[in-house]
Amino acid sequence: MKSLAVITFIGFCAVMWINIPFPFIIPKSFPPPVYRFQNNPRTKEGFELGRKLFYDGILSKDGNVPCSSCHQQFAAFATYEHRLSHGFNDHLGFRNAPGLFNLVWERELHWDGGINHIEVQPLAPLLDPHEMAEDLNTVIGKLKKDKTYPVLFKQVFGSPGINSQRILRALAQFTASLVSADAKYDKVKRGDSHFNQYEQKGYEIFQQKCSRCHQEPLFTDLSYRNTGIEVDSTLKDYGRMRITGRKEDSLKFQVPSLRNVFLTFPYAHDGRFANISEVFEHYNSGIIQSPTLDSGLRKGIPISSDDRFYLIYFLETLTDSNFIRNSLYSDPALHGEMAKPVEESH
Amino acid sequence: MIQKIKSFAFFLLLLLITGSFQKKEMDSTLVIQFRAYVHGYPLELNKKYQNPFGEAFEVTRFRFYTGKIAPAYTDASLKAKITSPYHLIDFSDSNSTRIELPVAAGNCHGIQLQIGVDSIDQSRGAQTGALDPAKGMFWTWNSGYINFKIEGNSPLSTQPSHLFEYHIGGYRNDNNTVWKVKLFSTNDESFLITKENKIVIEVGLDLDYLFDGPTPLRETSSCMMPGALARKISENFIGTFTGLTISPNP
Repeated sequence: MKSLAVITFIGFCAVMWINIPFPFIIPKSFPPPVYRFQNNPRTKEGFELGRKLFYDGILSKDGNVPCSSCHQQFAAFATYEHRLSHGFNDHLGFRNAPGLFNLVWERELHWDGGINHIEVQPLAPLLDPHEMAEDLNTVIGKLKKDKTYPVLFKQVFGSPGINSQRILRALAQFTASLVSADAKYDKVKRGDSHFNQYEQKGYEIFQQKCSRCHQEPLFTDLSYRNTGIEVDSTLKDYGRMRITGRKEDSLKFQVPSLRNVFLTFPYAHDGRFANISEVFEHYNSGIIQSPTLDSGLRKGIPISSDDRFYLIYFLETLTDSNFIRNSLYSDPALHGEMAKPVEESH
Repeated sequence: MIQKIKSFAFFLLLLLITGSFQKKEMDSTLVIQFRAYVHGYPLELNKKYQNPFGEAFEVTRFRFYTGKIAPAYTDASLKAKITSPYHLIDFSDSNSTRIELPVAAGNCHGIQLQIGVDSIDQSRGAQTGALDPAKGMFWTWNSGYINFKIEGNSPLSTQPSHLFEYHIGGYRNDNNTVWKVKLFSTNDESFLITKENKIVIEVGLDLDYLFDGPTPLRETSSCMMPGALARKISENFIGTFTGLTISPNP
């Protein structure tokens, strides 16, 4: 009876050409999201349009740099094994491409928090001459001339027309939907699995030494901190200070999530740490003192070789294989194919 | 019979309610015409001017955001209803420098308006109309609207091609460049807006004050991001609003 009602409803939606609502499910124990699809109600059609745009080079100047060129699903939507990503004409980007997941909980996006709303984020890579190198009006023109996009936009937004707002809202329907909350850690928290003794030990060390900034369940407190790094002499990237203009913010960057951490190497805003061992060693012995250094890091964090052994076991439980293999998030042009499986490496 | 009386009373009540609403109905029109001046003459883009030091300059582009415009009524009980959206005033497009605003009738002595996009509207996500990022007034790496943009050239500029560029914005804390302005008629006269009497208000901007105000721009040829300098230049900019000239619609 219930299924009949559902079928009737979907049939009704189809006949009336009403978009099917596509409720966003907040994972258990996660805080309320910042972005609630206000003014941009999530629908299956809207999500699919955003997904198509995300994987389409049409958004870039030469057609070769879709969002997905730097945000690869098998790397939890970071760039796999790249310090900096390659954009238009093989230009190198300015920062390490972060993984894209659990974005609805971020009030500010990017390493420096310069983006104040998820909907306007795509403008940054789209217009950056080193990334997609496009012009907004040119993109709109290209989409309008395309065979399929005008129909899809009309279907999603209820009237003909393509403008920047519609493009950005469609993209947000997709990117805001990327939720990673199904790693072994989550299964343990839900009571569906349990840590082995190594993972459990690692979890305890994690809680003692890392969770002050990498707070559960997002594994970041989304604050800006100087983790005792030196400025790179070529990039001259002072992080948060670039946005606020305040010298107190010099060399502060947003704490990255540790979810999927073994897929998102190299680490830090410029990918200066090639692997997790370098990160451990940095906190253990590599902290550089400076006026804006995080107060909790003045003496570094001692991480013994035993700690490292167990921490790696725990951090592996944050790899969300279901997320990176979810065909709902993969390139629609390759529909049905599994995303490339990732070798467990660290 | 009682039924009839009842419905009549109801009808009366309805009339009364609609009547009281009608008072505040936005059935009149206020026309606002922005005009920029250099040395007392209307600004012409791409024309050579000289500053008081005899140094040449030319303005090639001048645009700014304004919004939340409402008449300042002399009757304190008439609270201005601020419904006006944002407008991008662009001096290369004469249509954009004239705004027609639906307002409630009343006696006024000035107008209030906001220059720039305030913090609430800066972080609403993807917008359309005047706030469409395709208008080229949005910073993509540090989300926020450029509240005003003036570009040109002068031999004084040390920038390539002797360009000067001021892209002024910023809405956070001390670096806020958004201003709420009240402007009164130059001769302190009040004016009556009615449905029949469409008033045209001319808002003058004296660009001399922008260039030679408290922060003289001849010492700085560019400002392209939020910060202390942008804030100072916005103080110059706000000083260019000199007052209103009011005339009945010709």
